[in-house]
Amino acid sequence: MAGKIKRMIERIVSVRAQGNETLERAIRTKLILKGINPATYTEQSDDDPAVIRKLEKMLRDLHHRIGRFS
Amino acid sequence: MTIKIASSGKKRVDDAVHELMDTFGCNNMKVMIYFASTRYAPDEISAAMQSAFPETEIFGCSSAGEIAGGRMLKGALVAMAFDMDSILDIKIEVVENLRRKTDVREAFRSFERHFGEAADEMKPSEYLGIVLVDGMSGQEERLMDAVGDRTNVLFIGGSASDDMKFRSTCVYANGRSYGNAAVLALLKPAAPFDLVKTQSVREMGVELVVTRANEGRREIVEFNHRPAAEAYAEALGVSVNELAACFPGHPLGLIIDGEPYIRSPTHISGTSIVFQCSSAQGMPLSLLELTNLIDDTRGALARSKERLGGISGIIVFNCAHRALELEFKKLTEAYGEVFAEFPAIGFNSYGEQLIGHMNQTATMIVFR
Repeated sequence: MAGKIKRMIERIVSVRAQGNETLERAIRTKLILKGINPATYTEQSDDDPAVIRKLEKMLRDLHHRIGRFS
Repeated sequence: MTIKIASSGKKRVDDAVHELMDTFGCNNMKVMIYFASTRYAPDEISAAMQSAFPETEIFGCSSAGEIAGGRMLKGALVAMAFDMDSILDIKIEVVENLRRKTDVREAFRSFERHFGEAADEMKPSEYLGIVLVDGMSGQEERLMDAVGDRTNVLFIGGSASDDMKFRSTCVYANGRSYGNAAVLALLKPAAPFDLVKTQSVREMGVELVVTRANEGRREIVEFNHRPAAEAYAEALGVSVNELAACFPGHPLGLIIDGEPYIRSPTHISGTSIVFQCSSAQGMPLSLLELTNLIDDTRGALARSKERLGGISGIIVFNCAHRALELEFKKLTEAYGEVFAEFPAIGFNSYGEQLIGHMNQTATMIVFR
C-alpha cells in the first residue's frame, strides 16, 4: 500500500484549518516538529506504520468532528 | 487597557511581595503572572503571592534571571498585572505528573466547560494560551504535542529555571508550587496580541540529517549514518575533542518556512550528542552560527509593534543560553534596554515554547 500518509495529512490539515492559510501553516509546522514533513509524502510514499500511528493519534483527537477515518 | 509591571530585589519573600503590593496598589487586577528567583522558597513565594492578591488569577514559575523595567535582573521577583479591561476571561489549569504521563485531557475539558466552547473550535485570534513547565522535567515536547493535538489556539511560554543550578524548577498556581508539572493558562485578551519568536542565528549551508535518535533522551546517535559527534565535528571543521566548546556558538536548527527551530546540544555521550530538545529520525538539521542578538531582538519587536500599531505590554521567555551569551559579550544591559520603552517582564528560561519546544530562542507575547 502507498499514499495513505499523504491522505491522512491532507485530512488533518483540511479539517483543522478549514481553509485558513495561517492555521494551515501552523498545523504543517506542528507536523514537521513531530517529525512528519508533509512536503515529503506523495501518493507513492510507502505506508510507514510508525508515521501512521502518530497521525492516527492526531485523527483520534479530531474524531468527533470528522468521523472515523478509513 | 491597563497593564502594569512591578519588581523587587528584596531578599525576603514578605519584603519582596510587599514591594509588589506597593507598586500595584489596590487596583482591580484580574490576572497576574510572575517569575521568581529560586532565592525565594517555592512554597513560600507562591503562597505569599496568592495571599497578597487574593482576588487575582495568579500564576508563575521559578526563574534564572528576570527582566523588568528595561533591566536584566538576578535574584528578583517580577510580575505583570492585567486589569479587568485587559483580560476578558481566564482559566488556569495545572497538569501534574508529566514524567509519568503527559495527559492534558482534563485541563482541556476544564477549558471547554469554562469557556463553553470546544477546544478545537476556539479561534487563535481570540484566545491566548500560556504554558509554563518544569524545566527539568524533559517533557516539553510531549506536552506541546498533546496541547497542539487538542486545539488551534497557540500556546506560548517557557520552561521554568532555577538560577542555573539545574536541580529543581517549579511552576506556581493556586498558591502552591508544583514540580514535574505544567501550568496551562487560557486567556481571552480584550485587545489584539502578537506572538513573537526570535533567535539570532543564520544557516551555514551545512545540513545534518538525523539518521538514528533516541527521542525520549533527546539524544542523537547518528547524523548522515555516521556517529553524531564525528559528523557534527567534521561539519564544523574541528576535532571531536574540540566539538563541545563549539556548541554554544553553533547549535543546530530545524528550518521550517525559513524559520529556525533551534536544538541546542548540551554534551557528548560516547559518540552520541545529547540536546536540550529532541529531534526525530529523518529530520534535516542545519548547522547555525550566531548573529547580533540585540539588533535581531530590537527588529523583531519593531515588526511586532508595526503589526499591532502599538504595544501596551510584553512578556518575554528568554533562553538562559541567550542570557549567557549576553553576559559573555557584555551586552546584558543593552539587551534589557531593548525592552525599556514598554511595560515588559520576563525570565531566562530552560527552553521556550511556541507550537513546539525549542532552545536558544526568545518567545514573546506582545499586547496592543
